[in-house]
Amino acid sequence: MPREGYQEQLEQVREDVLYMSEVVLERLRMGLDALEAKDEDLAWEVIEGDHEVNELYLDLEQDCIDLLALQQPVAGDLRFVAASFKIITDLERIGDLATNLGDYTKDAEHDVFPDVDVQEIGDLTIDMIEDAMDAYAEGDVEACYAIADRDDEVDAMCERASEIVVRDLIEREGVGTEEEVQQTMQDVYRLLLTIRDLERVGDHAVNIAARTLYMVENDDDLLY
Amino acid sequence: MTNDSTTTTDQPSTETQSGTSQTDGGTSDPDGEPIVETDVSASLESSARTGTGRTIIESRHLDVFYGDEQALQDVSMEIPEHRVTAIIGPSGCGKSTFLRCINRMNDLVDVARVEGELLLEGKNVYDDDVDPVALRRRIGMVFQHPNPFPKSIYDNVAYGLEIQDMDVDTDAVVEESLKRAALWDEVEDRLDESALDLSGGQQQRLCIARAIAVDPDVILMDEPASALDPIATSQIEDLIEELAEDYTVVIVTHNMQQAARISDVTAVFLTGGELVEFDETDKIFENPEHQRVEDYITGKFG
Repeated sequence: MPREGYQEQLEQVREDVLYMSEVVLERLRMGLDALEAKDEDLAWEVIEGDHEVNELYLDLEQDCIDLLALQQPVAGDLRFVAASFKIITDLERIGDLATNLGDYTKDAEHDVFPDVDVQEIGDLTIDMIEDAMDAYAEGDVEACYAIADRDDEVDAMCERASEIVVRDLIEREGVGTEEEVQQTMQDVYRLLLTIRDLERVGDHAVNIAARTLYMVENDDDLLY
Repeated sequence: MTNDSTTTTDQPSTETQSGTSQTDGGTSDPDGEPIVETDVSASLESSARTGTGRTIIESRHLDVFYGDEQALQDVSMEIPEHRVTAIIGPSGCGKSTFLRCINRMNDLVDVARVEGELLLEGKNVYDDDVDPVALRRRIGMVFQHPNPFPKSIYDNVAYGLEIQDMDVDTDAVVEESLKRAALWDEVEDRLDESALDLSGGQQQRLCIARAIAVDPDVILMDEPASALDPIATSQIEDLIEELAEDYTVVIVTHNMQQAARISDVTAVFLTGGELVEFDETDKIFENPEHQRVEDYITGKFG
């Protein structure tokens, strides 16, 4: 096949994007673990590891720019580079959200809302990212649509979780000491942010699926 | 955005036009001469974006043979008016042959035989009553290597007017043509000098000025920038886009990025003289229908 060097560069981008997604997923799992175990050391590891994700992101961005400038990809190759260029942004953002989880862990003292299962939501979003990256690797169109559908489930779970928190606050009887109020405010604030961040992870999974669908079929159906 | 493009994609392809004929859906001028087919604009729906939406040139089941060798196979396509149509494909795919059919340059090749129809505004240019010289006044041509006559700059542009015995203000037409070819500013003080003293890029623009001086409908260009440096190439490319406001431009190019940059619609010929895909240029370069076209434009074969 002609243009062998070019073909290798395309393949390298594909491999690097997949590698970046593995790193990001690992950070996300660590963030969730840290949150669950209130493990501050693990939390710091996630936060300090974010620069690695950022560097992977910048390197890949440059590789895509080089391909566009030097090889002028067209057709399926162009859609692959364009989709990859967008997907790495989503991955980088997921990395940022993982560091947020690390941040929340540092301040978390106790569980105020045992009914809210953050881990369950987190697991679901991790599955979605994994599936989205498999779809990207395999060019699997069906999977793209399935991921978009599952995001509705995540959104519903996040909404229910937020509701539990707010309802509990409204129904809570008696006001504690100023110190207790402060602590509860902090816990509630942190929990709502956690729920929102995980909901966003799901959105990024949908973005990745949408870009993959465009990459494979030139179909912008899932983009919004 | 691009969702509906697939539905229009198939229409300009070679098969779908085979059913059209001069009589059905056609409109006529007072002389009863078909001007344009009403179903033509449907073949490239988004042509409403630019151009007139009319088809100016149509080939129908065009076959060309050089002796026993078939150079074009059953090519049917409709070239939209006032737009830039690029023809790309590997060497020997018949793209230049197709271009030369349009103004009957293949008449000059003894062994060439043309079958099928090549219509200019509905009239077959291969009909017996068509004068090839008159035809070439309506369909000008610019070649790969600039070929000015060994005459003055002025005479090069005026040449066609004199040959055609056109009753016009020659000075005015020469100036206007040179301006349109973006050459006037560089030569206005030395119109009497030999055209051969100009640079390659200037010579090519002079050839374009010469082609447009006789006010053609169509300008055919066969690799017009391949012998030029990047700056001269850019000037020619800019010029082509401007020319499309007043003329229909059909350009054969080996440079796919050039086709992508300057054309509105692109025809891809592949080996064997076959028109494989014909569509809006962005569709061809972002999402071609045919795997063979994708493989060709991404460089996976050749």
